[in-house]
Amino acid sequence: MTDGARPAGFPLPLLLALAWLVPGLGHALLGRRLRAAVFFVVVVVGFILGLALDGELMLPASGDALAFLSMPASDPLRFLALIASVGNGLMFFIAHAVGAGQGTVTAAAYEFGNTFLLTSGMMNLLLILDAHDIAVGKKDW
Amino acid sequence: MLDHLTLMVLDAFLIAVFFSFLWKRERRERWLYFWKVFGALVVGAIVLAWVMYPFPRG
Repeated sequence: MTDGARPAGFPLPLLLALAWLVPGLGHALLGRRLRAAVFFVVVVVGFILGLALDGELMLPASGDALAFLSMPASDPLRFLALIASVGNGLMFFIAHAVGAGQGTVTAAAYEFGNTFLLTSGMMNLLLILDAHDIAVGKKDW
Repeated sequence: MLDHLTLMVLDAFLIAVFFSFLWKRERRERWLYFWKVFGALVVGAIVLAWVMYPFPRG
């Protein structure tokens, strides 16, 4: 073991990247298996419900880097939603690859779908911070 | 699909489970925290809905 609960020879950035890609994986690698399982189920269920309810995974304007860079000022709420969407990690990319998460604005549960997708992404981002705290020894459980 | 109240309760449930496991260590603490967060979200949303009720739409 190195600092905190991090397995020896396991770089912190890699651990955090894995924690982002798969919900709960960071905790699993740190030996917190029960919490890892609970977090995985909660985040994945939230994400799947969000897709099932016709929610929308936010994307930056395609092919326009300048528009993306100015997004925090020009469209701050959409920018925050983008961060939360990408926070879903691998699920975000898989959903886009298969054409899911386009969002149907006219669907009755569209807003709820967004809520589930964004909260699952934000929860996963919080998991990265928690995994970091455990890995560096700030949190001992 | 499901009605909005059920979806709201489901969302509150997931969030309450998540934070009780994120922030609380002991089983009893987790249960207590779960019910606090779950209750606050569900009751708070219903109260807020009633507070907004007199305001016109659109």
